[in-house]
Amino acid sequence: MGMNFRGFFDWFFGLFGYRKNIRLGIYGATNVGKTTLANRISLDWTGEEIGKVSEIPHETRTVQKKEKVEIKLNRRKILINLLDMPGLATKVDYREFLKYGLSKKAAKQRAREATDGVIEAIKWLSNVDTVLAVMDATQDPLTQVNITLLGNLEARKIPVIVVANKIDLKRAKPNEIKEAFPQYPVVPVSALKGRNMDELYEAIAKYARRAK
Amino acid sequence: MKIKMDFVSSAMLDKKPKKKRINFILNKVKDGSILVVDGVMTAEEEMELIRETMRRVDDGFPGIEVCSLKKQVRGFQSFLERLSDQRTRIQKVLIGRIPETSLKTGITLVGPARYIKKIKKNPNSFSVLAEA
Ligand SMILES: Nc1nc2c(ncn2[C@@H]2O[C@H](COP(=O)(O)OP(=O)(O)OP(=O)(O)O)[C@@H](O)[C@H]2O)c(=O)[nH]1
Ligand SMILES: [Mg+2]
Repeated sequence: MGMNFRGFFDWFFGLFGYRKNIRLGIYGATNVGKTTLANRISLDWTGEEIGKVSEIPHETRTVQKKEKVEIKLNRRKILINLLDMPGLATKVDYREFLKYGLSKKAAKQRAREATDGVIEAIKWLSNVDTVLAVMDATQDPLTQVNITLLGNLEARKIPVIVVANKIDLKRAKPNEIKEAFPQYPVVPVSALKGRNMDELYEAIAKYARRAK
Repeated sequence: MKIKMDFVSSAMLDKKPKKKRINFILNKVKDGSILVVDGVMTAEEEMELIRETMRRVDDGFPGIEVCSLKKQVRGFQSFLERLSDQRTRIQKVLIGRIPETSLKTGITLVGPARYIKKIKKNPNSFSVLAEA
């Protein structure tokens, strides 16, 4: 009772150790709150954080992983490998980092690592099963980075959940994201405050799939 | 104070293999030009453009701004485009590789991030604020 076909399937193959984790990639532009979200998910289900958060863009410059995160909803269990990606960008300007008080040398080093990070995130697109496309709900969603990201995932037939983050801020407009991308499930959350995370877990349970 | 704009026909870019096409675009933009093309790239090609840009970022070249408008094709034309996608797939099976794709209908702007201050995109238009 209560176990649907997929649940049975997962259970059955789980018995034989065939169950593979779903590789859940967290993608998006820089500073939208990907690591804050990854930490929130990881904290909620494992009690541990996975990466460092910062107001300075390009804080995450190599892929951060947390394996075997078990999300339990009703009677369903899904196992995911969380993959927090470096932020995508079409530009990286070291002068931008000077504003945050970094030395010129540190800023240039950060910029070099940031460009490598973007390249790494792009490379990982062929190694993820499902993607959380995170957007900052206080910003214009129709950016080339968002459009290119979603277009790529569509071409690769990778399921996507759009996460409209930072809804705790007064100027957040998650509905603009819904209007911009009506063909995707959009879940408004505050990763920082942990708001509406249940709806996100429901969406993950509903849409997350292993790649064929 | 001067900004150069280059308008390039997609027919010219279409003749180039994918790699050369991206090199052509990035060479122009790295030289300081804002490039406008009467076509749009596929999402994969756009991602390739971002990746190639990241390889070229240095102290004097922070990267690019890109914006494109896709023409919503319907009816017969969309049928033709789907047919051409189908042909691409068949060719892939027959010759074992994807033939160089051609640019689809639309418009694309690629420019140096150090000059382009802001792009405001709407579903059917975009405006660009540039300053040298
Ligand atoms: N108000 C608010 N701030 C948030 C939220 N999520 C993240 N932030 C803030 O946004 C900034 C960037 O957060 P990160 O989690 O480092 O963003 P990221 O997307 O991982 O950034 P990169 O790794 O640099 O690409 C930090 O100052 C966070 O505290 C949120 O839900 N609400
Ligand atoms: Mg991060």
